[in-house]
Amino acid sequence: MLYWIYLIRNLTRNIRRTLLTSAAVALPIVIFVLSTSVISALNSYLDNAAKQMRLIVTHKTSFINPLPSGYRYKIEALDPERKELTAVCGMHWLGGKVENDPRLLSTLAVDKDNLEACYPDYHFTQEEMDAWHRDRQAAILGPETAKQFGWKLGDRITITPSLPPYTPMEFHVISTAEHASDPVTSWIRLDYYFDALKEHGFHGDEWIGFFVIKCNSIAGLDHYRRAIDELFANYPDPTKTRDEKSFVNEFIAQQFNLPRNLAILASLTVFVAIMAAMNTMSMNIRDRINEVATMKSLGFSSRSVFVQILIESMMLCVSGGFVGALIPYGLFHWTPLGSMTIPVIQALDIPLLVCMKAVLIAVGIGILSALWPAWLGAKLNVVTALRYLE
Amino acid sequence: MALPLFYSWRNLLVRRLSTSLTLLLITVIVVVLAVLLSFAAGIRQTLKNSGHRDRVIVLKPGSTAESTSVLFPEETNLLVQTPGIRFDPSGQPLISIELCIQTSLPRLGYQDSFANVAVRGVDPVAFAIRPEIQIVEGRLFDSGALEVIVGEAASKRFGNLKIDGEISLGRLGNRLYKVVGIFRANNSSFESEIWAPRSMITTAYSGHYTSSATIQCIDESQAQTAINYIKGPSVKLQAQKETDYYQELARTTRQLVVLSVILIAIMGLGAVFAMANTMYAAVDHRRREFAMLRTLGFSRIAIQLTIFIESLLTCLVSCIIGLLIGSAFIAMNIEQDFISDVSFSSLTYQLRMTPTIMISCLILACGVGIAGALAPAVRASRIPILEALRKA
Repeated sequence: MLYWIYLIRNLTRNIRRTLLTSAAVALPIVIFVLSTSVISALNSYLDNAAKQMRLIVTHKTSFINPLPSGYRYKIEALDPERKELTAVCGMHWLGGKVENDPRLLSTLAVDKDNLEACYPDYHFTQEEMDAWHRDRQAAILGPETAKQFGWKLGDRITITPSLPPYTPMEFHVISTAEHASDPVTSWIRLDYYFDALKEHGFHGDEWIGFFVIKCNSIAGLDHYRRAIDELFANYPDPTKTRDEKSFVNEFIAQQFNLPRNLAILASLTVFVAIMAAMNTMSMNIRDRINEVATMKSLGFSSRSVFVQILIESMMLCVSGGFVGALIPYGLFHWTPLGSMTIPVIQALDIPLLVCMKAVLIAVGIGILSALWPAWLGAKLNVVTALRYLE
Repeated sequence: MALPLFYSWRNLLVRRLSTSLTLLLITVIVVVLAVLLSFAAGIRQTLKNSGHRDRVIVLKPGSTAESTSVLFPEETNLLVQTPGIRFDPSGQPLISIELCIQTSLPRLGYQDSFANVAVRGVDPVAFAIRPEIQIVEGRLFDSGALEVIVGEAASKRFGNLKIDGEISLGRLGNRLYKVVGIFRANNSSFESEIWAPRSMITTAYSGHYTSSATIQCIDESQAQTAINYIKGPSVKLQAQKETDYYQELARTTRQLVVLSVILIAIMGLGAVFAMANTMYAAVDHRRREFAMLRTLGFSRIAIQLTIFIESLLTCLVSCIIGLLIGSAFIAMNIEQDFISDVSFSSLTYQLRMTPTIMISCLILACGVGIAGALAPAVRASRIPILEALRKA
């Protein structure tokens, strides 16, 4: 007990220094928590993408090149009994804008019949699916998009696609996909879009952007990834098939290589915290050099001095780490900041696990930053130190 | 009278460990700031170099970029009558009708990673409008041949784009085009592109549409006249100055800058605390010294100043070291590419160390230095002389 009182007294004897150091450790930890949360959000998005066992079929030359719509039936014919290949859904990117608003939308026109089969993880209700099949102008909005534009269930909205026919099209909001893993993308019906194209003199219903294929086993996924590309290898429009995770990853890798660079940033912040804590600990030991000498002359072993300094540093850093983890956790869970949208990933969630990891890292910072001062204290020559007693 | 600079310098050297730890800490933050900002600066500079105030870019109303725009011949034909247009010596109007498509090419240095590289089908007039295009290796393509020229940045960044390399283009992807030349374009986004004869690209994509038209106007004021005409009832297309178009594409970088500033502000605040800690310790160790200096006649201001100078010296040295390390990092990782969420094509850019970045780093370092020394300096100047000396 006495031991712990001594430790706490040591930390509180220069309360200003302790507070400043805790803050200097806490703030880098805030960044550590934020960047690690972004990485974990990206990873969980990718993991979910991998779990869904979906394939994306695009044109081999570039994903922006269209594929013949008829490919859908050829792909379906690969597994006529739907044993492993559950559903094929054609999709076409439209982008889109709302009049007098600079914000860009991410809208996909999709085959109406297989959407639900391809995206069981979106948990559409029967009502939503009934409305989707009944209404040609149905739109399923990404929840984040709906929030940003203030659109609600039942609204009539007008979107101008960024592709032909470039004319305003009206849609009826039938769902705001609450379980969507991609909170931004909205879906409309391909048949309605093709009709709009024809109406404005564009012919284009024979071409489609890409296909999403739902498989029900990993073996099936691997098999069809190869089989589809082999099927179309000698066609005028060869395909490139990859799973959803690789497809999304291709984009992320080209967005400043975010996961890798954030990991570098996170480790740099840890380094900064170590520097700050090490500075304090070395100052603490220098200030108390006589005390350490006295303790050793009273019979405390070098090891116990070493451990004592280490524990002091750990307590100092953990208090900083705890505050540093609590700030982002609190901000994103209990304030409007939680609903803020940020680039690339939309809404940021600060997982408790990341916060706990940050506190553990703070323990590590405490140990690392105290190693040198603690070693100095442990190997201190008692006689020399006492000679300079003030 | 102020204390000599030498005094501050020597004091820093006395506390070697503490000074170097603080120095290292601030250096890291300066490096992070410099590198983060260099991304945005690189993209912005590249896009800025692409636009000229006296050129007007024409797209389909509703489209967001060249890659999503579709113009038909009957629409582009109307542009010939645009007022304010410049003519070449032979009397031809300087309008470049272009077709922008994309092709997937491997990114060099990454495994299984592909970039969507822009391919621009152009007529000879494109080179008259864009004199910045300079062939630096090989030659220009022949108008009727399956040949392309490649931007220098793209050729360094993506596979198969060296001279004599072959790439497959076209909707069918079954035509091989030979790379016959490498061009430079004043570090603009055109250097991320592949340029090919428009006739060959049009047939390869079996379409009769184009993507955009670029008009060379007589001067900047005429550009506005041209824009008004094109937007008006006789043409009804979307027109804007090239500079505005590329500025809009650079919008993503604004978010990047805001994010960097927030991150650095948080880290900077941490550094202020660390600095304050160091300076407090320095002051506490020299209570007697300061009391002595006061007795000798140095003013409170002189004492405060010497604390500020110590702190600023540390920060300035950190700033210089940080900028050197940052520049070295930037020089090693200079070629970057990123996919635009507007045009879906890959933009190759170079990380850039600009004067603005240097000044930002300097402001950060000085800010940390001053803010960190503020409270300790006040404390130092308020040391009760008698009490401090009595303990001597």
